[in-house]
Amino acid sequence: MAPSTPDLPSPDRDAVIALLAGFGDRDRAEVGETLDSLELTWLVAQVEQRYGVELDLTDEVFAGMGTVTGAVDTLAGALDSARGTAAGHG
Amino acid sequence: MTGVDLSWATPGISREWVDDLLLAGSSDTVCLRFDEPVDRAALRAVVAVREAELRAAGLVAGGTVALRLPPSLAYVGYLLAAWRIGAQVSLLDHRLTRHEVDGALDRVAAQFVVEATETRGHRLRGYAEVVAAVSAREGGRPAATPHALVQFSSGSTGASKVIARTAADLAAELDRYDRLPEFPRAGERVVLLASIVHVLGLVGGLLNALHANAELVFPQRLTAEGILAAVAAADTPATVLGVPFHAELLTSSTERTPLPSLRRMVVAGELVRPTVPARFRERFGVPLGTMYGMTEIGVIATDLDGSRWPAVEPTHGMRLQVRDGELWIAMAASPYLGLQDPSRFVDGWLRTRDAAGIDGGTGLVTVLGRLDSQVSIGGLKVDLTEVEQTIAGMAAVREAVVLHDGGVRAYLSLADGASVAEVELEIGRTLAPFKRPRELVVLPVLPRTATGKVVRAAAVLAAAGENSGKG
Repeated sequence: MAPSTPDLPSPDRDAVIALLAGFGDRDRAEVGETLDSLELTWLVAQVEQRYGVELDLTDEVFAGMGTVTGAVDTLAGALDSARGTAAGHG
Repeated sequence: MTGVDLSWATPGISREWVDDLLLAGSSDTVCLRFDEPVDRAALRAVVAVREAELRAAGLVAGGTVALRLPPSLAYVGYLLAAWRIGAQVSLLDHRLTRHEVDGALDRVAAQFVVEATETRGHRLRGYAEVVAAVSAREGGRPAATPHALVQFSSGSTGASKVIARTAADLAAELDRYDRLPEFPRAGERVVLLASIVHVLGLVGGLLNALHANAELVFPQRLTAEGILAAVAAADTPATVLGVPFHAELLTSSTERTPLPSLRRMVVAGELVRPTVPARFRERFGVPLGTMYGMTEIGVIATDLDGSRWPAVEPTHGMRLQVRDGELWIAMAASPYLGLQDPSRFVDGWLRTRDAAGIDGGTGLVTVLGRLDSQVSIGGLKVDLTEVEQTIAGMAAVREAVVLHDGGVRAYLSLADGASVAEVELEIGRTLAPFKRPRELVVLPVLPRTATGKVVRAAAVLAAAGENSGKG
């Protein structure tokens, strides 16, 4: 697993769109607001890789990530709890 | 390389078929690996328990049972158990909605259905732990045909296609895999990313691994790291089997640990983007192979070492021709059950609806893409006509056009007084998640041509959407 990065802020809207654009080498403009299950899998994999964490993928986390806006909020929470656990604060 | 002895293979499925073709081999060899390894003795025991359960429910030779289970040890157990009994098994993707499942069960008139009552496993894991129950269905009938396996594929007539295969046909596909020297065999591992409910994961993954005595590994996490960890977990040569999405996921990985046991990755289910094979080889030092196949017949042609890409070489015994730009495949009998579009199977030829070219000198085939309204979403076939007819048939919808424009997109106008929330609710009830439009664009009226036909051009519809402020 990549090293954990406790200081890296969770991805904002721009960063989420940039990560999603990497799927299929798309332009950022081609990334829609709604995410399908492949885009979601892609996004989770990229975030885990970049932040060196394993996200707790409950149904609630998945349900919250159906849109770009939802993904930004949900990832912030999921990263906090993943990093909290990794650092022994969870 | 010798093939499977087909002399004993009858059209029906039987205990001998399962035991000789899939369950033979040393008892202490690991054949499946979920959280824990499952050796052949343990798998035989699981199958025996499921067989007793199915028999107690009343399933007999020539009977029918439908499995609606996520990929799991339970799924493998019930499938092999039902075949040992001599029953016809229908496979239903566990992601289908109740509406789609009921339609499918009515069409095949299954006597019994096996469903999960409890499922554990997070969303990025390729398998689940399942508690399942067998129930009898009213109106179910014994098998009307000698087919062992019944599958469903999204269909252009609005309903799904019902595709059936015999035990002999499945044995013949395993024989084709046997004859491919690069395909995994005894002493090797298959890291499986494709679903064992669909043909690639079912025959190329599960059945071939059991038949060839290879170990079938289900990664605990379907991320690049999870897949690579599964490969690195042992020294025996590993082939990763998945769809093009998985190859893209792996090439995006920044993990640089060497993987001496990785032999190759093989993908099928849709076309690979041109940049991916070279990128994969550069990243991992091994080939990205491709296969072309269909639910109707299984594997058709392969390029397992990536040396022929984008062309593929027909597998043993496949007779192919291109007519008017479309690929046709010789088949002994129609693979379709029930009422079907008669133009799909013509005089012993299966029409693939794929555009292709065949090199007259080498016989190599290059598949160019679909000729109909079918698209592939992560290897799962979605027919846009089915999605469009489902949406257009809703009470809340006046008319609808469904296109693939980056993703599946529905342009629709609402019935008087109806709301888009009603349409979303109905879509959630009737269409499996992978078939649902990514976007609903509501227009006051759909644009029409001078002759009154609804316009199907993406650019025109998108412009209408922007003008109405909903695009």
